[in-house]
Amino acid sequence: MLSPLNKYRHAFLVGLQSNIVYRWNFLIRGFFSMFQLVIVFILWGAVYGGKADVGGFDFHATITYFVVLIVLQFFIGAFNEDYQISEEIRNGLINQFLLKPINYFCYRFSIFTSARVVSGSLVLVPLLVILPLIKDNLVFPHEGWRLALGLPAVALAGLIQFSIAYCFGLLTFWFLEIQGFVILSMAVESLLGGQMFPLDLMPAGLFRLAQFLPFYYQMYFPAAIFTGRIGLASATQGLGIQVVWALVLLAVNQLLWNRGLRRHTAVGG
Amino acid sequence: MNYLRIWLAGARYSIVRTLMFRFDFFLWAMVELFWMGVNLLLIQVIYEHTDTVAGWGKYEMLLLVGTSMIMQRFIMGFFWSNFFEMSRNIRTGNFDFFLAQPGNPLFMVTTRKIDPDSLANSLVALGVILYAAHKLNLHPGAGDIALYALLILCGLVIHYSILVMASSLTFWTTGGQGLEGSYFTLMEFSRLPREAFRGVSRVVFVWLLPVVIVSNVPVRTLLHGFDPALAGWLVVVSAAWLTLAVLVFHRGLRRYASASS
Repeated sequence: MLSPLNKYRHAFLVGLQSNIVYRWNFLIRGFFSMFQLVIVFILWGAVYGGKADVGGFDFHATITYFVVLIVLQFFIGAFNEDYQISEEIRNGLINQFLLKPINYFCYRFSIFTSARVVSGSLVLVPLLVILPLIKDNLVFPHEGWRLALGLPAVALAGLIQFSIAYCFGLLTFWFLEIQGFVILSMAVESLLGGQMFPLDLMPAGLFRLAQFLPFYYQMYFPAAIFTGRIGLASATQGLGIQVVWALVLLAVNQLLWNRGLRRHTAVGG
Repeated sequence: MNYLRIWLAGARYSIVRTLMFRFDFFLWAMVELFWMGVNLLLIQVIYEHTDTVAGWGKYEMLLLVGTSMIMQRFIMGFFWSNFFEMSRNIRTGNFDFFLAQPGNPLFMVTTRKIDPDSLANSLVALGVILYAAHKLNLHPGAGDIALYALLILCGLVIHYSILVMASSLTFWTTGGQGLEGSYFTLMEFSRLPREAFRGVSRVVFVWLLPVVIVSNVPVRTLLHGFDPALAGWLVVVSAAWLTLAVLVFHRGLRRYASASS
C-alpha cells in the first residue's frame, strides 16, 4: 500500500527540483500578473466610478476577488501541462511509462502538484511587494465554514484544471498540433471560469447555466467561497457538483488514454 | 517597388500554405473569433450594471474595443509569426539566412509571412466598428474616415515598433521568454478609455508608453472630430518609436554572433 505512494512521492520531489530551475520564469510571470491587476484596478475603478455597488458587491470586494484569482492561478492553474504531455507523446517519451508499473496520470499529476507548489510560493513575492498599495482594498468575510469548504474546493479545482489540460494533451494521439485547441479552450475557460469578470455579474439565467459546467469549478467557485460571493447553501451544493465533474473528467481521461494508446505507434523513445 | 514585389511573393506563399492546411485556417480563425467574443461579452456584462465607464457609453466603448481589435488583427496578420520566429531564429542561428538576403534585414525578417486567418477576422472587427458607429448614429465624411485610417496606421507603426524592440531583446538575452505575455498584456491596455487612467498610471500608460493613445486617438477622432494636438502627438510618437525601434534593432544586430548549436 505504501510503495505506490512512495513512487509518486519521488516523482513529486524530482518535479520540485526541476521546477525550481524555472524559478525566474515563474517570478517574471508573477510580476506580469501584477500588470493584470493594474488593468483590473483601472477598468473596475472606472466601472464603479462613484457607484457604491455593482451586482451587489462593492469595489473592494471586486478587487479582492481578482487578487484571489491571481493567487489561485499560480497555486492550481494548469500552465503548460498540456504541451508537456503532448511533447512526451509526440517524441515517444511516454513509451517508458508503458513498460513500467507507473500510472501516467498519477505521475503527471505529481509533477503538476510540485510545479504549483513552486509557482504558488513565487507569486507571493510580487504580491508582498505590492501589498502595502493594495491592502486597504482587500476585504475577506470571516465565517469559518468558508475555509472548511474553500480548501477542498481549491484542491478539486486543481484536479479539474489538470484533468482538462491532460485531456488536451492526450489529443496528440489524434492530432499533430494541439495549440489551436488549447488556446480555443483557454478563451472558454477564462470566460466561464470567471477570469474576465465575476460570473455572478452575468444575467441570472446564464449564471445558473454556468454552474452546471466544469469551468465554473476550476476557478470561480473556490474564489467565490473565499471572497463571500456565494453563500453556504450554494457552496455545499456546488461542492457536490464539483466532485461529480472531477469524477467525470477522470473517466474521460481514462477513456482517452485507453483509446489513444490503441492508435499510439510508439515512435522514437 | 522592389520590396513590394518581395512582399507580394511572400504573401502568395503564405496563402498557398493556408490552402494546404485548411483545417488549421478554420481552427485559428475560430480561436481568434472566440477571444474577440470574450472581450465583447465583457463589455456587455459591464454595461448591464452601469451606463458609463469613465464617461464612455456602451457603444462608444464598443467602438474603442473594435478599433483595438482591428489593429490587433492587422498586427497578427501581417507581422506576428515573423516576430515569433525572429526570436527563435536569433537563438538558433538561423537568422543568418536573412542577413544573407540582398535587402534591408528588418524588412526581410518582419514581413516574410502573413496569416490569412487573422486578416479574415479583421473583417469581423470592422463589423464591430460599423455596428457601433451605426448605433451611435455617426456619419463620418470621407475626410474623417481617411483620418481615422491614418491614425490607425500610426497605431500599427507603434505596435510594430514595440514588437521589434521586444524581439530585439533576444540579441542580448538569448532567452526571449515572456514576449507574448508582455505584448498581450499591453494590448489589454489599449481597450481601456484614456479617461479611466489617473495619477501615476496616466503618466505611465498614456504618456510614457503609447499603449492607450494608439486606440483612443482614432476613436476620439470619429466621435468628437479632429483634434490637431492629439493627432499630431500620435504621429510624432509613432515616428519616435519607430526610430527607436530601428536603432535598437541595429544595435542588436551588431551583437549577433550567429550562435549555433
